[in-house]
Amino acid sequence: MALPNINSAVTGVKRVRIWYGFVVVVMLIFGVRLFYVQVIRYDYYKTAALSDQLKQYEVPARRGVIKAHDGDGLLPLVLNQKLYTLYADPTYVKNNQNVALKLSAIIGVDANKLQGQLATKDTRYVILAKKLTPEQNTKILALKFPGIGSSAIDYRTYPQGSLAGQLLGFVDADGGGQYGVEQSLNTQLKGKSGLLKAITDASGVPLAASSGNIQTPPQNGKDVVLTVDLAMQQQLETILAKGVTDTKATGGSAVILDTSNGAVKAMANYPSYDPGNYATVENPSTFQNAAVSYPIEIGSIMKSLTTAAAIDQGVIKPNTSYYDPSFFMVDSFRISNIEEDGGAGQRTIADILNLSLNTGATWELMQMGGGEINLKARTAWNTYLTKHYLFGQPTGIEQGYEAAGYIPGPKENGAGIDLTYANTAFGQAMTATPIQFAGALSAMINGGTYYQPHLVESMINGTQTVMAAPKILATNVVSAGTSQAMIPLMQNVVQKHNFNVRFDQTKYTVGGKTGTAQIAKPGGGYEDNEFNGTYAGFVGGDKPQYVIVVFVDKPKVSNGAYAGTAAAQPIFGDLAHMLINDSYVSPKSR
Amino acid sequence: MHPRTVRRPVSRSQQAESPTSRRHRPDYWLVMLCAAMVGVGLIVVYSISPALSAASGVSNSHYITKQLIAIGFAFMAFVATSQIPLPVWRKFVKPMLAFAALATVVALIMPVNPDYPAHRWVRLGSFSFQSVEFVKFALLFALAGFLAARAKANKLDDFKSTLRPLIIALVVVGLFIAGPQSIRAQSDLGSMGVMIAMFGTMCFVAGVNMKRLVLIGGLIAILAALVILPSAYRRDRVATFLHPAANCQDSGYQACQALIAVGSGGLSGLGLGKSVQAYGYLPQAANDSIFAIYAEKFGFIGTVALLALLLTFFARMKSIVERAPDDFSRLLVSGVLAWLSVQSLINIGAMIGVLPLKGITLPFISYGGTSIVFVTAAVGLVFQVSRYTVHTVPRVSNESVGKKGKSYDDSRDRRRLRGAYHPDLGSRL
Repeated sequence: MALPNINSAVTGVKRVRIWYGFVVVVMLIFGVRLFYVQVIRYDYYKTAALSDQLKQYEVPARRGVIKAHDGDGLLPLVLNQKLYTLYADPTYVKNNQNVALKLSAIIGVDANKLQGQLATKDTRYVILAKKLTPEQNTKILALKFPGIGSSAIDYRTYPQGSLAGQLLGFVDADGGGQYGVEQSLNTQLKGKSGLLKAITDASGVPLAASSGNIQTPPQNGKDVVLTVDLAMQQQLETILAKGVTDTKATGGSAVILDTSNGAVKAMANYPSYDPGNYATVENPSTFQNAAVSYPIEIGSIMKSLTTAAAIDQGVIKPNTSYYDPSFFMVDSFRISNIEEDGGAGQRTIADILNLSLNTGATWELMQMGGGEINLKARTAWNTYLTKHYLFGQPTGIEQGYEAAGYIPGPKENGAGIDLTYANTAFGQAMTATPIQFAGALSAMINGGTYYQPHLVESMINGTQTVMAAPKILATNVVSAGTSQAMIPLMQNVVQKHNFNVRFDQTKYTVGGKTGTAQIAKPGGGYEDNEFNGTYAGFVGGDKPQYVIVVFVDKPKVSNGAYAGTAAAQPIFGDLAHMLINDSYVSPKSR
Repeated sequence: MHPRTVRRPVSRSQQAESPTSRRHRPDYWLVMLCAAMVGVGLIVVYSISPALSAASGVSNSHYITKQLIAIGFAFMAFVATSQIPLPVWRKFVKPMLAFAALATVVALIMPVNPDYPAHRWVRLGSFSFQSVEFVKFALLFALAGFLAARAKANKLDDFKSTLRPLIIALVVVGLFIAGPQSIRAQSDLGSMGVMIAMFGTMCFVAGVNMKRLVLIGGLIAILAALVILPSAYRRDRVATFLHPAANCQDSGYQACQALIAVGSGGLSGLGLGKSVQAYGYLPQAANDSIFAIYAEKFGFIGTVALLALLLTFFARMKSIVERAPDDFSRLLVSGVLAWLSVQSLINIGAMIGVLPLKGITLPFISYGGTSIVFVTAAVGLVFQVSRYTVHTVPRVSNESVGKKGKSYDDSRDRRRLRGAYHPDLGSRL
């Protein structure tokens, strides 16, 4: 072969064409395959792509904040704070030790524990820490560790600490309001979450570039402004706590109500809790706002309402005097007074309230029946209790778990009903909550208009403020005249009792009524050595402005003292002085 | 030999074996097609930059800047390979081989990046490259030189002196490049496939006996099976390839997501900035999987256009092979053709689910400095050869020329025809 290179050139040309032909054929096959994948099977792959890429999200609505009065302005009681839950997808986390050390330095969790969590192989979601601050979150995200992520969760924060805790309630981990205002107004506070359907990246973040995102914006919850005055609330909580602990009582409640509109200006119980740390509360009954949810036999404070009802019916006059036999036999049961009040004799209406005569209240009930306890008396009194003073039904105040209390019907209980009714005339054999009594007393003393006790002054929906008009539940609870007549009768009680600092009735109108209530035993009858102390009264200038109701559970008072006078009355006194000293009430103009 | 001063017809033998054909206008189409594909790659990388930088936490311009720098280096490499004469390059075959070997050894010794736990990278500070690209480049010269010399010696089919050294070389390379990670080799079957294609194509074009080639091909297939079977992750990949939908959540994730990207592109694509799969769904979106992202953006119309672009580019190379002035440059260009075409086919085939996944880039288009620099350098060599191509394509073997019953029409030597040309009758004498 003389010229082998020409040979090889020709072979080379032939063979490179064969090679190129091979490439063309494979490319043609690829083209056919691409036509199949991209054109014929387009729908299949589009669906597969969307099932990965299109995600549906709930866009959480912002929960409304809760504010209350502080002087002329408003202060927040409950706010939202974004805190972050830190999680890891262990399958993506690299270099566990380094990641654990860096995270540990920021969140303060033991690095070994974190490393253990990051090494978990059978899960793709491990929560490493909760409630991280935005600063911590920013630091962690700046590290850009693959497989480490965080999600923001709104938590309730309480700038005023535990103040008004039981009024407010708390929000549980699922975003549901529990107890207090949070439960009662859960729907309004919560708002309505929105919906976002979007093409997202692999980690679920919606892509701005993708079109066709469907979005329903969330409707944020309404902000709530409470009628509560924070300074007054603070004082009330302090005074109540002192009063309860001084008398070694098991608990206590106090309410201050505005007589002109039913607005609760302050309300608290002792013991209470800090809603920011609700999870640490051991006894769940602490969550209850006892002032609305814990009805008890209220005792002699009822005599103010019994007297008003009798005067209002015209069966007695404010200045009537009567012969008190020192006991009545009702249904063969002896109703008598305490020994200090002396024996039989001529008594006035003022004496009934001041000396807290059970026989006096029973006598008033008898007058309603024309001189004896009968169906007429029972029906008349029951009408006042349930239709005028609205006992036995919830007031509708914006609180979770409000109790209705109990009023026996006029025809119930067969033979013992007269005795039962005699008892109701001085606050036994029935139950009511402090807020119910405050509402009723307020109506009786303000001229006869029962304003619904309420905590919400207004709701703010975005920029629009909706004032909650005071709701009138009953009118002519008692006549204006009766109301006027009752004021001096109750002032007299205050004047005749010992307060640490006496009230200047020439400048202020301060009236009240003590109560020492027997406590019903579970099996029937009453406890021998345990009583509840109650006190109900009012403070004002020209007219009563605030009603104050104080309940103290089972105070340990010295022998011979009465729970109402020894435990509840001082708390009332301190509260009334507080209202006067802090200028919540304006002195008499004349 | 001084072609510029001694103006005489170059003899056939000289023409065939020495790069002394007249220098002429090079094939600028080669450069334009190459630039077009680099441009396409740059556009795709740029458009998915937000997704890439979001995932790795670098600035938005990080990827495009790095790619532009790589293109700068690629341009310099192109100038070097197209301007430094091939004979000069040939002199440095041994140093090049030595350097490639050194780079491979360094890559194997170096500690690995936990993100890419294969011993494939040489890292010098912030600069890093894949050693296998050097190996490809050096082998290109070594093989072309060796085969050209064997062809000249007419010993191409001699087993002892030609095929045995080739097989030994292939085995040695295969041991380091395709060997499993357990023996600290690079475990890079994709690149190994490309190199086998280079070996095979160059032997094939050089004229090695077909039967022997088929025999050796069979041996390689058996060897490949032996390499693939013991490696768990390769078995996975094969299983995944056979049953892609069943393994979407684990081993077949990338294959599945690539097909979803390609398929959801549809006829006309989602549009340049509208790729979703690049946002964390499809791994290696800018590198190995860039074809799928391209297909998602530009649809069937775009993918067919890209295949056409590649084919046109390969066709230019094929015609340069056909007109190569000598054996060495012919083999060199066919080696480059085999390299680029097989690498493209393996990459695209994996993205459209007709081949198992391999970790190799799509030439010109994929993001990644080493790939683009070496691919462009190879094109530079082809570009240089295109300056010296002869005018006609040899079609008929020399023995048949002038023999009875054979026309001169297909002969390479047109002077005879010209001599017999009659103005009235033309060449049909």
